[in-house]
Amino acid sequence: MPIGDEILLDVKDLKMYFPIKSGMVFQRKVGDVKAVDGISFTVKKGETLGLVGESGCGKSTTGRAILQLYRPTAGQVLFEGENLGDLRGNKLRKVRRKMQMIFQDPYASLNPRQSLGSIIGEPLVIHGLAKGKDKQERVQELLRIVGLNPYFVNRYPHEFSGGQRQRIGIARALAVQPSFIICDEPISALDVSIRAQILNLLEDLQEQFDLTYLFIAHDLSVVRHISDRVAVMYLGRIAELADRKALYENPLHPYTKALLSAVPIPDPTVEAKRERIILTGDVPSPVKPPAGCNFHTRCPMAIPQCSQFVPPLVDKGGRHHVACIRV
Amino acid sequence: MMLWRRFASNRFALVCMIVIVLGLYVTGIFAPLLSPYVPTAQNLDAVAQGPSIAHWLGTDELGRDLLSRIIWGARTAAIVSIVAVSLSTIIGVVLGALSGYLGGWFDTLIMRVSDILFAFPSLLFVIFIAATVKPSAVRFVEQMEIAWGMRGLARSGIIDYFVVFTALSVIAWPGMARLIRGQVLSVKRMEYVAAAESIGASTYRIIFRHVLPNCLSPVLVAVSMGLGGAVMSESVLSYLGVGIQPPNASWGAMIWENSGEWRLHPHLIFIPGAVVAIVIFCFNFIGDGLNDALNPRNR
Amino acid sequence: MAPLLSVRDLKTYFRTPDGVVHAVDGVSFDLAAGERLGIVGESGCGKSVTALSLMRLIPQPPGRIVGGEVTFDGMDLLALDEEEVRSVRGNKIAMIFQDPMTSLNPVLTIRRQLSEGLELHKGMSRSQARRHSIELLRMVGIPSPESRVDDYPHQFSGGMRQRVMIAMALSCDPQVLLADEPTTALDVTIQAQILDLVKRLCVERRTAVILITHDLGVLAGMTDRLAVMYAGRIVETAPTAELYENPKHPYTIALMKSVPRLDEERREKLFVIDGLPPDLIDPPKGCRFAPRCFAVIDKCWEEMPELMRVTEGHNAACWVDVSKGRS
Repeated sequence: MPIGDEILLDVKDLKMYFPIKSGMVFQRKVGDVKAVDGISFTVKKGETLGLVGESGCGKSTTGRAILQLYRPTAGQVLFEGENLGDLRGNKLRKVRRKMQMIFQDPYASLNPRQSLGSIIGEPLVIHGLAKGKDKQERVQELLRIVGLNPYFVNRYPHEFSGGQRQRIGIARALAVQPSFIICDEPISALDVSIRAQILNLLEDLQEQFDLTYLFIAHDLSVVRHISDRVAVMYLGRIAELADRKALYENPLHPYTKALLSAVPIPDPTVEAKRERIILTGDVPSPVKPPAGCNFHTRCPMAIPQCSQFVPPLVDKGGRHHVACIRV
Repeated sequence: MMLWRRFASNRFALVCMIVIVLGLYVTGIFAPLLSPYVPTAQNLDAVAQGPSIAHWLGTDELGRDLLSRIIWGARTAAIVSIVAVSLSTIIGVVLGALSGYLGGWFDTLIMRVSDILFAFPSLLFVIFIAATVKPSAVRFVEQMEIAWGMRGLARSGIIDYFVVFTALSVIAWPGMARLIRGQVLSVKRMEYVAAAESIGASTYRIIFRHVLPNCLSPVLVAVSMGLGGAVMSESVLSYLGVGIQPPNASWGAMIWENSGEWRLHPHLIFIPGAVVAIVIFCFNFIGDGLNDALNPRNR
Repeated sequence: MAPLLSVRDLKTYFRTPDGVVHAVDGVSFDLAAGERLGIVGESGCGKSVTALSLMRLIPQPPGRIVGGEVTFDGMDLLALDEEEVRSVRGNKIAMIFQDPMTSLNPVLTIRRQLSEGLELHKGMSRSQARRHSIELLRMVGIPSPESRVDDYPHQFSGGMRQRVMIAMALSCDPQVLLADEPTTALDVTIQAQILDLVKRLCVERRTAVILITHDLGVLAGMTDRLAVMYAGRIVETAPTAELYENPKHPYTIALMKSVPRLDEERREKLFVIDGLPPDLIDPPKGCRFAPRCFAVIDKCWEEMPELMRVTEGHNAACWVDVSKGRS
């Protein structure tokens, strides 16, 4: 499906803080883990937006906050123009029919006590979409769509391998015919030879069902393969957001540059010629992120002004957004 | 069914389970049919006898058949263990699950109450309940008898049972609640719970379909151990005179009744003592067997 | 010149309730002094078990080294008694593991854990060992080692802990360093730091390295020679540059084509290796890759191919010459 101009998801200044509590009997709030600290982006109908970053940068939290699995501390999540933060109970449940999630861990994301029929059929029951024989047929159809044998309906998750379990999770997400799917590291727990199977399946499904993806991953090569646009996150904020080609061929933010240079390429001749930007130190704690640009403590290009104010995400032309005062 | 096969592969635990089911529960249910004599019938011509054809285990100092009293004691132990453990498990599972899933002030409240109950010496607590609750319960039932023209209820000993049920459940539920709460806390972080939420499942559905069923394995072990513990506690209470009162049969009460004669007729206290020991021993081995069968590392 | 370490027909099996798992089933390779060898394969292919077998660290039961020879520096490692093995392990052959969070003892200070080997193998006194520990920490790039040496593991980040593990492994100047997925648990920017460190130190000290990983990218820049493992056997081995340029075994070829590369625009679809690795309790009679292979011929099902010479130093265990079409 061609990517239109219609905006499906609009995230505005999203913040997700987790309070840290202390005390034995009466718990007091002593601070916040600022997992997501004010991010804004849009996802257009039919496109795949890649969200990359290292562990603890807030990319998975962003996904869960969009789905309202965590209630955001501040900001808005507009899906088809509706602010999800205002929705409760039944209304929220209705919207969840349109947005689904594929989880990282195929072992933890399936209830071990449910059969495949029950796992994939549950969303149908909850939303009253199918019953009895219809439900059975729909479940079998879904199994076929994700490349599993429809006769598996009465089996249990422990009888399947990681890749097959991930297919089951995908079938569950597809059951309610969503238009938008958040893929939260869907292949990182799988074996190398299985990853391509799942990636190709996700691409096929996108084409077949006109899906829009938010693809969350730490693997920059995979994100390059699957995304139309890519957002790079660091410590709860977006450092750079651009079309795939621009981001990979002409990265502007010093963090993106370092990140890309750190990814090893399976080719010794290329490897021998590459210049690696080795960042010093570790990612600071999200409880006390550095003032100003939160990357300035590790940035090879930092100047004193960097620690004084938060650089806004600005368009440098051609929809290439960067949050850095040095570019 | 996998669980049952793994459990049954442990022969010893299986034997223990058969002993408990037949020896305690089946015997308890069919006590009126199985016991050769009426357990309260005194035969003053045959007082404190050793084992004989007429009385397989002998008689006590009031001439009551010991075997019949042991069988009726099994009935007491069976009822008390089932009712007390069911009550404490239901209370514990519900409060523990809500406490773990909801968190917040409810969690704090439940956990502090259970802390207080844990900190209290449990035997003292039971004696306290028996001493305070029982007299008012007796008075209440007596008034009911007067009002409705019934007779004999207050003196039948049924109140003793209620006191024992209450006391044992009150001391046992906090342990169960903590166990469930810990399980819920770890299970609710599993991705399948987030997945259930994202497909639009209600809180009720999430707790009862996705969280609780995955928390129950350790409860099975705890219930098994708890049944043994309840049998033990009932015996202790009855021995101390705050549980089941004579003439109703209880193994603990039997030890106390016959303790005056222990030099002359040691079998009168040895046999009920041994029965209690065997029952608890079997429950513990069933618990161990279940634990091994449920432990994912042994799969 | 005789190789430093020579493995011949190593077989390590595990007894499980379902049957005997042939985890490593006839693995042979050589390692020259100062050479860097990479072993690549998916989880369950036997690469970690191979490393643990060399260290004689197979948990027994259920595991057992049932056959083969491991010659190191003229000794047969598999014939040594427990006491003698301990004088080699950690001293002449050292190992770093995947998870830096669990491989350090949380209740001992870094100094205690570093000194242990030094006092045991090098006969140093307490104060000597302390001074040497500080030197080692400085060598692996831990800032202010004088004060950090008395810290506990939880006071270090994941990357820093892996540095400590490297310091510990290199403390007794081993001749061989076994690194089992040393960077899999780390973020890319930290991975780049750690790989850079390992390479630099091992070149300086002429330590031979066996680097075990599933990531073809990591190996490209790190190794002189590669061995590809599949289902308990080595299926191809060649100098690194040769292997990437001219892979011969269908598994190697498929593996390389199924992984998206950072430096490549999206190809239409990734190459997919269908199916799953075989059950190692009852492995196929012929070639173990035959059920998933794109170039399979009748002979593959009947007879297991041994490693055969392709060019000097390049061997592949395949009946088919893929570049020519047929053998």
